[in-house]
Amino acid sequence: VGKGEMRKVAVPANRYTPLKENWMKIFTPVVEHLQLQIRFNLKTRNVEIKTCQETKDLSALTKAADFVKAFILGFQVEDALALIRLDDLFLESFEVTDVKPLKGDHLSRAIGRIAGKGGKTKFTIENVTRTRIVLADAKIHILGSFQNIKMARTAICNLILGNPPSKVYGNIRAVASRAAERF
Amino acid sequence: LFSVQDGLATDFRALTKILYDLNKALGSNVVRGGPLKELVIENFDEEQIWQQLELQNNAVLDFFKKSIARDAKDEDLCLLSDQEEDGSDAETSSDLELEDSVMEAETEQKNIYTKGKAKEKQSKLREGTMQKYSDEDSDIDFDIEALEQQTKTAKETTLKKMGKKSIVDDKFFKLSDMEAFLEHAEKENREGEEDINYFEDIISADEEEESEEAKVKTIKSSRDLTYKDFFDPIDDNDDVVANDVEDDQVEEADGAVEEQNEESMSEVEDMNEMIMENTRSKEASKKVTFSLPDDSETEDITDTLLEKGMDPSEIKSSFEKRQEKMSKKIKSLEEELLEEKPWQLKGEVTGQKRPENSLLEETVLFDHAVRMAPVITEETTFQLEDIIKQRILDEAWDDVVPKEKPKEEAFEYKKRITLDHEKSKLSLAEIYEQEYMKLHQQKTEEEENPEHKEIQEMMDSLFLKLDALCNFHFTPKPPVPEVKIVSNLPAISMEEVAPVAVSDAALLAPEEIKEKNKAGDVKTDAEKTPTDKKRDRRKKKLRKRMKRREKEKRQKLLEKMKPEQGTKLSKKAAAAKLKRLTKEGKASLLKDEGKDKVLKSSQAFFSQLQDQVKMQIKEANKLKKKQKQQKAVSVHKLKL
Repeated sequence: VGKGEMRKVAVPANRYTPLKENWMKIFTPVVEHLQLQIRFNLKTRNVEIKTCQETKDLSALTKAADFVKAFILGFQVEDALALIRLDDLFLESFEVTDVKPLKGDHLSRAIGRIAGKGGKTKFTIENVTRTRIVLADAKIHILGSFQNIKMARTAICNLILGNPPSKVYGNIRAVASRAAERF
Repeated sequence: LFSVQDGLATDFRALTKILYDLNKALGSNVVRGGPLKELVIENFDEEQIWQQLELQNNAVLDFFKKSIARDAKDEDLCLLSDQEEDGSDAETSSDLELEDSVMEAETEQKNIYTKGKAKEKQSKLREGTMQKYSDEDSDIDFDIEALEQQTKTAKETTLKKMGKKSIVDDKFFKLSDMEAFLEHAEKENREGEEDINYFEDIISADEEEESEEAKVKTIKSSRDLTYKDFFDPIDDNDDVVANDVEDDQVEEADGAVEEQNEESMSEVEDMNEMIMENTRSKEASKKVTFSLPDDSETEDITDTLLEKGMDPSEIKSSFEKRQEKMSKKIKSLEEELLEEKPWQLKGEVTGQKRPENSLLEETVLFDHAVRMAPVITEETTFQLEDIIKQRILDEAWDDVVPKEKPKEEAFEYKKRITLDHEKSKLSLAEIYEQEYMKLHQQKTEEEENPEHKEIQEMMDSLFLKLDALCNFHFTPKPPVPEVKIVSNLPAISMEEVAPVAVSDAALLAPEEIKEKNKAGDVKTDAEKTPTDKKRDRRKKKLRKRMKRREKEKRQKLLEKMKPEQGTKLSKKAAAAKLKRLTKEGKASLLKDEGKDKVLKSSQAFFSQLQDQVKMQIKEANKLKKKQKQQKAVSVHKLKL
């Protein structure tokens, strides 16, 4: 490892408190498993990660940065931890208006459809496709492997476009069963 | 009549003894064997005397056999005429040939008997004849191979002797010789095909010869060879050239034989024979000829000799000949190189540049890009037919198996992947971890022995029973629920916030409970369109029609079958019923007197009713009028 490289992740205000609460859980794997140096710059409100002499793996820095970013976006620490443990997990973000230009109530209804009553629909999609979804107003973040992200994205887009949840369930069930058969 | 004549017997015995002793006394040492010097008869049985005689006789018989065989081959005696009668044509022809050779050999034999050659001829002939006579008993089974060899060897000796003149003959060429040579060459080829080991035959022949003959031969060793052994004396001048020609021609054909012969020089035993043969084959050639591997050389030389008609006395040395040949070759090669090449060597040749249909004569090689179609021969068809027959016998048809699409019910399909509407308790990392473990554990699971599983189960049940029997504080295991109940909960229960007890309960859709109506939604009469109404009416009428028809059919059937029961609901039954009711007082019968026309028809009834009402109204009006009249004050009265 050459010169010390550094990454910075900005923390919005709403995630400040969760960060403080989960700080132990965040920095422990970064420091112990990835052998990096991490700190939270209070002035700039950034999480800074730096390589040091003990760092063995070059990709560790990117992994750590992704991990912190995932947490900042809204994922749980345990879920975001999967990014460190598995190589082939990705994080995808898109907006509801990317799929269909919606405004006002329509937008709200779309978001409501995605979430379902008590988060039921979202949880269903998460469970069937083995991903994690964060629904932040009009922004959607999906964490998982490539194929699963695709499945979840299709389901969410269908919901945005107006399909009833039962239909979406049927579709994702079919796709998931096919994927499971393949493996 | 038959009595033992003792006197004669004793006389005979004495006579035999005298004969025997005389014979022995004369002392002919020719006969080998016969150990007894005199015949003893005193006090000897007839059998014993006979045995003594037998001893002598056996020896004598052997001797006589041999001598007869030998003497039969003698020149003066000729028993060949007997053989000619039987046997095949080949045999007869060969016999003739052999006879000829024998005759000719005879004439020559005396001339050249002293020389070693004759011995070989004689040996060969004797071998031939001996072989023949050895097969006297079996006339037909004649060893043609051996005979051919004999004829070949005989031919070699008699090539010179066949002196038939023809027109074509000249100093160098004799037709008869050529023919003889050709036949000889043919035989050589045939023999070559049969792969006869010349050495073996020759050896055997010699051995036989040696075994049969009692004579001692003069076998020369290789050291004692002289010029005489190799070459004929320098006397014959006339047939030298002819001999040369013959030699060379024979040499060509016998190239193989000669080589073999030369190779066998190493063998000391048969050295002489080989050399003799060589000399014979060369037939008194004066010059030294090296049979080089390139036999064509000698051929060419002879050809050139013939062509140029050179004086054969101007004989060139072999080196000179070779040089000539080489130069000729060089010349021809040079000419070839300077000439224009043939079309085959010219690279890409179009059709115009080569003669017509010249490719047909050439064997052309080219790559086949496509696999050739199989050649249909009789064999292939037979094979196919065999396969077909066998298949028919086995009844192993290649019928197409109809594929069935697996029909999965929606019910089961939904059950396969259950939807969990709750937030998953495991984190993503753990989920993937579990997946990974599952993948890798599948291998270990397969390795588990099913027998082990069985054993484990049996042991568990056994221990459970034992525990039940012996353990003081035994608590039985909770019963394992075997039945899985699927509850058809209403949708509203699923919407509840409180956790549902049965997580994987399947919600049945309304369609799964009751089949949907094909026609669609149910409509009230107000919603129905005229077409709907008409449709309904039609359906209703149809239903009614069918029902009525069915009823009539049943009635008819019933009437036919049981006529009494058929009149169940007839008029009589109805009247009887009515009577009964009126008697009881439940129903009152209105008599029809004719007066009451009113009750018969509704028109009458209503008209009567109308009249009644009118009457009432009239009366009422009248009353009213009267009242009014009373009330009405007249003007006259009020006139003041």
